[in-house]
Amino acid sequence: MASEKPKLESLQRDFDEISKLPRLSAAAENVDKIIELLSAAREQVAGALDTHTASSTMIKLQNPVKTAFESIENDLKKASTSHKKMGKALNESFPLKPLPMDHDAMADHVPLINRAIAMHLLREGQFSVASTFLNEVQGQTRREASVDLDDTMDEDGHEHVNPTVSASFSPSDKYNLSESRDLHNHFSEMYRILQHLKAEDLDPAISWAARNSKHLETRGSNLEFELSKLKYVWLFKGPCGPDEKSLHSALAYGRKTFNRFGARHSAEIDKLLGAMVFAHNLPASPYAKTFVTESAFTDIASSFTREFCSLLGLSAESPLYLAATAGSLALPQLMKYTQKTRSKGTEWTTANELAFETPLPESMLYHSIFVCPVSKEQTTDSNPPMMIPCGHVLAKETLTRLCKGTRFKCPYCPSEGLLKDARQIIL
Amino acid sequence: MADFGASKINHDSHLLLDQPLLRLPYELLRKNFRSAHVAYLKDSKYVTNLVKETAGGSINGKVKPQDVVKNLDLMLAKMRGLKRKIETYSEEENRLYRQSNARVSHLRELSSIHTVDDVKYEQWSRNRLDRLVVDYMLRHGYIESASALAKERDMSDLVDIDTFVNMSRIRQSLLNGSVNEALAWCNENKKELRALQSNLDFMLRTQQYIEMMRTTSTSKMLEAVEHAKKYITPFNDTYPLEVQNIAGLLAFTPDTTIEPYVSLYSPARWQMLADIFTEAHLKLLSLPNIPLLHVALSSGLSALKTPACHSHQQNQTDNHNTSSLTTSVCPICSTELNALARNVPYAHHSKSHLLEHDLVLLPNGRVYGRSRLDEYAAKSGLPAGQVKDLVTGELFSAEKLRKVFIT
Repeated sequence: MASEKPKLESLQRDFDEISKLPRLSAAAENVDKIIELLSAAREQVAGALDTHTASSTMIKLQNPVKTAFESIENDLKKASTSHKKMGKALNESFPLKPLPMDHDAMADHVPLINRAIAMHLLREGQFSVASTFLNEVQGQTRREASVDLDDTMDEDGHEHVNPTVSASFSPSDKYNLSESRDLHNHFSEMYRILQHLKAEDLDPAISWAARNSKHLETRGSNLEFELSKLKYVWLFKGPCGPDEKSLHSALAYGRKTFNRFGARHSAEIDKLLGAMVFAHNLPASPYAKTFVTESAFTDIASSFTREFCSLLGLSAESPLYLAATAGSLALPQLMKYTQKTRSKGTEWTTANELAFETPLPESMLYHSIFVCPVSKEQTTDSNPPMMIPCGHVLAKETLTRLCKGTRFKCPYCPSEGLLKDARQIIL
Repeated sequence: MADFGASKINHDSHLLLDQPLLRLPYELLRKNFRSAHVAYLKDSKYVTNLVKETAGGSINGKVKPQDVVKNLDLMLAKMRGLKRKIETYSEEENRLYRQSNARVSHLRELSSIHTVDDVKYEQWSRNRLDRLVVDYMLRHGYIESASALAKERDMSDLVDIDTFVNMSRIRQSLLNGSVNEALAWCNENKKELRALQSNLDFMLRTQQYIEMMRTTSTSKMLEAVEHAKKYITPFNDTYPLEVQNIAGLLAFTPDTTIEPYVSLYSPARWQMLADIFTEAHLKLLSLPNIPLLHVALSSGLSALKTPACHSHQQNQTDNHNTSSLTTSVCPICSTELNALARNVPYAHHSKSHLLEHDLVLLPNGRVYGRSRLDEYAAKSGLPAGQVKDLVTGELFSAEKLRKVFIT
């Protein structure tokens, strides 16, 4: 792989060189020369206005004009050579590899892609771009719908003007719009709270967490407590190190707030309040670690974002970003596969499962994958994983195949079992 | 199984989606040069000939000195015009060079990034997504959105708004029932279109003929015949059947019910013309004929998708109840992509990949990592010896847990 790295660098080097090569601007200068020649000739002829001057000037003009045109041609040739060098550099360091274009699985799902993009823009805080986009999408959908109505009379198997298709899309677009308005509100709230967190103002986040306290708790999230804890620490340290005033307000805040977290977080609350005693020598105290706040605000901002999105049923990172990134990582495998199958004449039909592996980094795996160790198939709803009495797991179809009557022998240990004792499990 | 090598970036194959980024300015440079060259050839020929003629004429006395001055003025006007044209082409060339260099340095940034876990990679990949989204918007005609996003992200050198605005304009004029813009474009790119064996010119000329026939006025129909003689019969060898049908159209009025004349009169032809034009335009500029975002998504959705993403069991439980200890919401399960990913195949795995390893089975059939269950029990303030299902919230005695062996 190391040998491939210099390619981009040599491309950059080549491009740097090429941008120093002659360009069209040289030709413009030489056109000036012709203009000068012509103007001078015109002056002479117009000044004298006699036949002799005219003919001798014109005869003398011929060669210099010819030479000047030749140099323009030369300039053009040089400019074109520069372009050719660029083409050569591209072919050498960035050779064109045709992308798989035969089958566009996404072509029929433009409304869904639009929706994903709109949600992505909102999530990224690009509210104005998102609303421009939604307006444009709406406008186009409306235009297309009206065109379709005009065309219904001479429908003749032409797929692209199918009124039923676009009619069935419009309601979902309306749904999109109200949905996106909701999302817009949600995400602008999220950005408002994040802005405050950036400025070390925890209150908006705390009140959001209080409002969603129940949901957060069912999720087993500690966000609400973590926010209160940070608020306490922040008050404790005060604007210029712990002093009487800051300790006082921290204590008052702690008394008011920590009570309701008592059951779950008593150990930590003890620590927080115990620190009061060491306030004047905190770094040397056993509580030093709790009171380091350098990254605390960025940490809490990212866990806030995660919880906020999860409560909306959304992934914390933009799915569109993840999918595009995964797409560029998996694309080489797809291309290798299409090349191979094409040369064999077999085409990749849209089955349930890809026919080739597309390894992704660990951070992009979100579900446990179970591949039956016997059949080597991934388990699905119709062929779920089954745990047999000895604790080993097989796909259901494998188990049925292993069965002799109602009994089977585990392929991995000496134990035997009954089919009725196997349990379907959810991984 | 997650491959450790999978997070390594292969610089050679990682830029497949970025090929048009450099190819387009290169194609535009060539196209710009061709236009400059054509303009030069025309004007230089004119001036060279006129110098020669005037010189000859003034020697044998056929051209008077006043006319010599007049001719010189004509030549001057031509050359001044040429200069303006070349200056414009030269500015465009400079812009394209600047753009190419900006793009190469942007791509080069990747060569110092070696794994996808590098924080710099995220920045780079986000930028790529922005480019893909702008490309998608431009191709679907959402020009304002594309410009707004490009401006917001400060990446005007990395996207090709002008090219697509131009394409959209011509495409839209076809959809509105006008061939003139498209014909002009054909004319500009005659040679290249011939090399691509594009039938666009023929189709446009045919459409003009059809529109004349549609009027059913005799004079217009005669004009149509003249038009056909001039522009359509030269295609007789290439498209014999079509030319024959077109000739036959003379016998049929627009309300005919007989094929192929119904199709010839059909307004759906405009959509077809727009598509033929778009295809030729993209091909001429070495641009892929489907949006790059589509390519990225169809491979990305599949790579991320698992059978669990659209499973009934998994979806029974509302996302809101998912514990924060369970892994973060999967991008395919998330609302944005879930419906879109429904019809793509899921990723192929030849080995099990488990997010946790100390697996235990709960009496309700769900399997979790033991340490995670314990952690959740502690966070939920459960008494010792009890665990809580991370998804359903059911409580169980820890004695009921059974160890699961994954081979």
